Amino acid sequence: MNIALLSAVLLLAVGSLVIKKSVPAIISFILMMFILGLYYINLDAKMLGLFQIFIYTGGIMVLMLFGITIIGVEFPKAKAKPFNATVAFLLFVSISALFLRGIDTLTIALKQPVEDVNLFSGEFSDFVIIFTLIASSLLYATVKMSSTLKAKKTRIKNV
Amino acid sequence: MFAIEMLFAFALFTLGVYGVSSSRDFLRIFFSLEMLLNAVIMMLATTAHYLGMTQNIVLAYMVMILATLEAAAGLLIFAAANKIAKVLSPDEFKGEEHA
Repeated sequence: MNIALLSAVLLLAVGSLVIKKSVPAIISFILMMFILGLYYINLDAKMLGLFQIFIYTGGIMVLMLFGITIIGVEFPKAKAKPFNATVAFLLFVSISALFLRGIDTLTIALKQPVEDVNLFSGEFSDFVIIFTLIASSLLYATVKMSSTLKAKKTRIKNV
Repeated sequence: MFAIEMLFAFALFTLGVYGVSSSRDFLRIFFSLEMLLNAVIMMLATTAHYLGMTQNIVLAYMVMILATLEAAAGLLIFAAANKIAKVLSPDEFKGEEHA
């Protein structure tokens, strides 16, 4: 079941990069996210799966689809880049080889499941701080970008 | 089973890397970035399920929130660039002659 879901995810991901028209590409991407949500539910991470489906897919991606439908853009023609494909393939092979080489260590961990009872009391707060910083930087960049674009538009009008 | 699912996650990650490095328009770069983040979430969820690392689920939530923010920010930047500068590619987004 999981393998079938993940195969569909990969096919739809390739489709979203290959399809030339923007709306079918976004629909393919949305389906990919939806199937990923089903995969999480199948992994017993029900809340994560529901979050993925309702908030990520249902909220953000459909908003994206709505925006693109209004703007109505087509993708510019792009040349195929065999060098980038080769590098990406080599990356996949090397990551997989490293993972398969060290999988024995993970199998040992599988026999002794980790249950961290002090999940939020220890060093985990560092992660929260880092993620908060990244998220706030992202928001700041968005606001700055939009104000720069507005300033640019005003400057062009004045000229 | 765990290894195969992780290999799928690596494949999705590689696809995202390829998309980011080879695409020349905002939307495909945005898709590829989302793929990268989704591959990371997938790895975290898979390891949480098969290895019992429950803290990875919390990390997955945080990455997902970050990805959601990034999607909203990406949409705004894409729409603004398209409306104001009439460009679809970040490479063209530098001179005033495009506005």
